Amino acid sequence: MEFRENEILGIIGPNGAGKTTFINVIGGIYLPTHGKIFFNGQEISELPAHRRCKLGIGRTFQLVRPLQGLSLIENVMVGGLFGKGLRQREARKKAEELCEFLDLTDITREITRMTALEVKKMEIAHALAAQPKLLFLDEVMAGLNSDETMQMIALVRKIHSRGIVIGIVEHVMRVIRELTDRVIVLDWGEVIAEGPYEKVSNDPKVITAYLGEEA
Amino acid sequence: MRISRYLSYFVILIFLLTLPLYTGVYLLNVMDIILLYIALALSWDMLLRSGQISFGVAGLFGVGGYAAVLLNLSTGMNPLISIVVGGLAAGILAWLVGIAVLQLRGMYFAIVTLALAEIFRVIIRNLPDLTGGPEGTILPSAIFAGNSAKTYWLAIAVAVVSVIASEIFRRTRIHFALTSIRNDEIVARSSGINVFKYLVFIFVITSAIQGVTGGAYAHIYGFVSPEGSFSVDFTLLPIAMALLGGMHSTWGPVVGAVLLGAVSELLKLHIPYGHLLVYGLIIVITILFFPQGILGTLGQRRKKSR
Repeated sequence: MEFRENEILGIIGPNGAGKTTFINVIGGIYLPTHGKIFFNGQEISELPAHRRCKLGIGRTFQLVRPLQGLSLIENVMVGGLFGKGLRQREARKKAEELCEFLDLTDITREITRMTALEVKKMEIAHALAAQPKLLFLDEVMAGLNSDETMQMIALVRKIHSRGIVIGIVEHVMRVIRELTDRVIVLDWGEVIAEGPYEKVSNDPKVITAYLGEEA
Repeated sequence: MRISRYLSYFVILIFLLTLPLYTGVYLLNVMDIILLYIALALSWDMLLRSGQISFGVAGLFGVGGYAAVLLNLSTGMNPLISIVVGGLAAGILAWLVGIAVLQLRGMYFAIVTLALAEIFRVIIRNLPDLTGGPEGTILPSAIFAGNSAKTYWLAIAVAVVSVIASEIFRRTRIHFALTSIRNDEIVARSSGINVFKYLVFIFVITSAIQGVTGGAYAHIYGFVSPEGSFSVDFTLLPIAMALLGGMHSTWGPVVGAVLLGAVSELLKLHIPYGHLLVYGLIIVITILFFPQGILGTLGQRRKKSR
């Protein structure tokens, strides 16, 4: 499968389908056992994760893991420092801009006192700080209420408007319907359907995958 | 605000530097021990900040000591230079071991470092022609002919180097890398951090510091031996000091080294053999009841009261 320029690609499938594994393989946490991965024409199948980050592949994590011992802004700076190799002062400036872009305030505070939405925003800012060309959002909507989900959808659009290709893993179909140009459906590690959300959500194979076989 | 702080640091430094003018040999020798332990406690803590626990401090310490002494004896190398070379030897050794072993993490790495210290000790004990075997090697004269002021300043230099290294680790991007790696390696790697490279680097630098400390110790006492130079004291005590004072900081291990260094000297006078038990107890009690150590707990209380 492929990511196309400028798109927002939805990645859906039942639990255990391999969505996060997919991100881990593209991101370089797992190396592929067979097959190849190309990024902007360059083969990256054997590259370690930190090199792929520098090339422009970013991702967030399903279970958000803020870095204890660093403040909010420092958490964000990490991406800039190592993904882009910026100097501390520059990384801090970029991180401040990103926090503003994502509407994060009081950025020097310790990370122990943040709301769920703020933590997710910080996580996204952390990934954006490395200036990715392709960004995976792994279930960013999980645990958000209706209002926060709307905010997050607007945020994803804002990020996309910067020219970043987005791969969004979600269980909340409303989000997929609103945000994505195209969707792939994974089941047992395989792509079983691909296309716009309307087409894919009516595909009997997809329905079976989510709901199980009729007796 | 900042000026008065730097001023007080300056005053303390001047006081420490001129200590030989108004104290006797015994106190200076105790200070030597404390200062060298500051270096060991700090270097252990610096690796801890990456999430890796080393039980091999004594190994690098002993290797540095032996390298410094043997080079000085066999080639007539200047003792001060031999101490630096001792540090280099420990660093190179750590590099070789690190690239082989730092694919391991956590408990596996910790156990390997413990095993390494023992291996070094056994190797040294069994090369009598080279190292003097189980009896060790005595230098014809201690460094600076035993002048206690000069050995004291040497110890200060070693401690200062370790403090500077620790602060560099806290103020540069290394701090961000260490904290990220310690928290979650997968997140670190996905953020562009070459985890392996950083771990090897930190292991080498901290081991070199431990080697220099061992070289200084060996020259100050004029003596190396397998049991003495690789004593488990040089692993356990720095750990207890860093934990007691407050890990993941510069001044925590320093405070711990001062406190426990003084305590250990007192203990030696009254309980010649029970000291290991005491250190072990201190480690356990600290981890159980105040894992942030003295400075860490004080810092948290201060934050809460705001």
